Amino acid sequence: MNKVIKLHLHDRYPELGKGPVPVEPYISAPYFDKEQAKIFKKTWLHVGRVEEIPKAGDYFVKDLEACEASIIVVRDKAGCINAMHNVCSHRMNQIVYEKRGQARKFFCKFHGWAYDLEGKLTGVPEEESFFDLDKCDHGLTRVACDVWQGFIFINLDPNPALSLAEFMQPMFRDIEGYPFDKITTGFQWSTVVNCNWKLALDAFQEAYHVAYVHGRSIADAIDTAADGAMPPLDALCGEFHRRLSIAGNPKSVYGNPNAVTAGGAAAQQAIADSATAKPIAAAALRAGLGSATHQFRKEDLPKGMNWTGHDNWLFDINVVFPDFYLSLRPNYFQAYNFRPLSQGKTLLEARVYYPEMKTAGGRFYLEYMKVALRDVLLEDLSTLERTQSAVQTGVKKEMLLQDFELLVRHGAHVVDRIVNEETKA
Amino acid sequence: MSTHQNPPTLPPRFAALQTYIHWSLATETERTRMRNTSQMAEIVAFKDAMLVEVDAIVDYLNGFPLDAMPPQEAALMHMLLSLAEVAPAVEAYRQPGVIDGYAFERFKADETFVMRPPI
Ligand code: FES
Ligand SMILES: [Fe+2]
Repeated sequence: MNKVIKLHLHDRYPELGKGPVPVEPYISAPYFDKEQAKIFKKTWLHVGRVEEIPKAGDYFVKDLEACEASIIVVRDKAGCINAMHNVCSHRMNQIVYEKRGQARKFFCKFHGWAYDLEGKLTGVPEEESFFDLDKCDHGLTRVACDVWQGFIFINLDPNPALSLAEFMQPMFRDIEGYPFDKITTGFQWSTVVNCNWKLALDAFQEAYHVAYVHGRSIADAIDTAADGAMPPLDALCGEFHRRLSIAGNPKSVYGNPNAVTAGGAAAQQAIADSATAKPIAAAALRAGLGSATHQFRKEDLPKGMNWTGHDNWLFDINVVFPDFYLSLRPNYFQAYNFRPLSQGKTLLEARVYYPEMKTAGGRFYLEYMKVALRDVLLEDLSTLERTQSAVQTGVKKEMLLQDFELLVRHGAHVVDRIVNEETKA
Repeated sequence: MSTHQNPPTLPPRFAALQTYIHWSLATETERTRMRNTSQMAEIVAFKDAMLVEVDAIVDYLNGFPLDAMPPQEAALMHMLLSLAEVAPAVEAYRQPGVIDGYAFERFKADETFVMRPPI
């Protein structure tokens, strides 16, 4: 009965091993303290996109419990994006209470100290009553902030070990040039899930679960092998980051997002194939054809997208260490953060970005795609708290991973390597 | 403070859909709640009524600017978005909510997210 299973993805990464993976890191509080100190306070964290703050003075605030910080991200008059701690230099009140807004200057609501968009202290009421106060020394505390392909990242370490480019490029240079700037209609959901951040992320970095968790919804949008399995096209692991490439079923509306912008025979086929079983899907695709503000041709994508060159390629999952899931499709993308609030609580901020649509029909299509995706997320989220509770029973010490769960293994491996690195005194 | 307004009216061409005007909801949060708190029979009746007209509705609404629809057209647009909202209920789950799904109320749409389209 025993079939010989050909393990091939793992063979490329012998340092990861093939053995069981311990679950202690998913439930241990001391382990989480080390993750906070060595990962979340030391690495680049995605906080948003440049399109969210297009004008000078536009800002948003990110509360980062994992870093014990609240960070103001603001565009200044020169067009640069700055990030600074939301902590007044006088007696430490939070400078900004709103989640986002527009400011000429930031005025502390406690005693009225004023800071400009670069964080410089510019005004102190009754300044003459202070003692040797040099305003130049008491601006807001800046944190490192940089932009990669329109994504804003911050790093709490004032002297990051790697620049953002050095951090991203070894794995993602080949996807630079993806048309992020043409995909600017964004939606966001958020939820607090009672589970460890790695456990949440893991549920998104493999496709082994698709036939089961998504069996009634989008399983038919994934390319299926003869035996019913949904093997990925390929997987890549780097020093920090990882990637997984997935094929779709071009005859389904959800599995062929390119149809709406490319039109032609593929679109007609998806409409015809969906007409009976999924007439709303077919109507949405008919309605959306020709409405996008840009054409998105697969052949114009950077060469790192669909790196296996598969005809039915649907999307690549990119996991940007530590907690940023960026899934890129030919003409839309998902950006999720699995950000810890504590060892057993995770804030999921899920965003999806589509091309702008010019017509009501296009907007209807977007709503169809968005709602389908959101419901798929409700499916994905359904297992997490059950799994966390089950892990915490302590009856199992290890999990067993198959070849196509390589990214789960790699994620655990990288975190563990950093957490257990000897501290350099 | 809530203001009680008369239900919106639809463009005359689509007056027959007025029975379903309670599906004309401006936000995803409202549309999702409506779907998840309706009976399947109500969802199917709404879907059936919309689906026979859907191409005509799209054609008609395509004649108006998406970011500046007059009130009647906006009301119809919101029903079109509700049709998208119920699609998985009808075409995937055959029940209002996601089967074994995470509680929809816990997964909150951020209606203030700045990059949302105007409608
Ligand atoms: S704490 Fe900000 S002005 Fe006093
Ligand atoms: Fe999933």
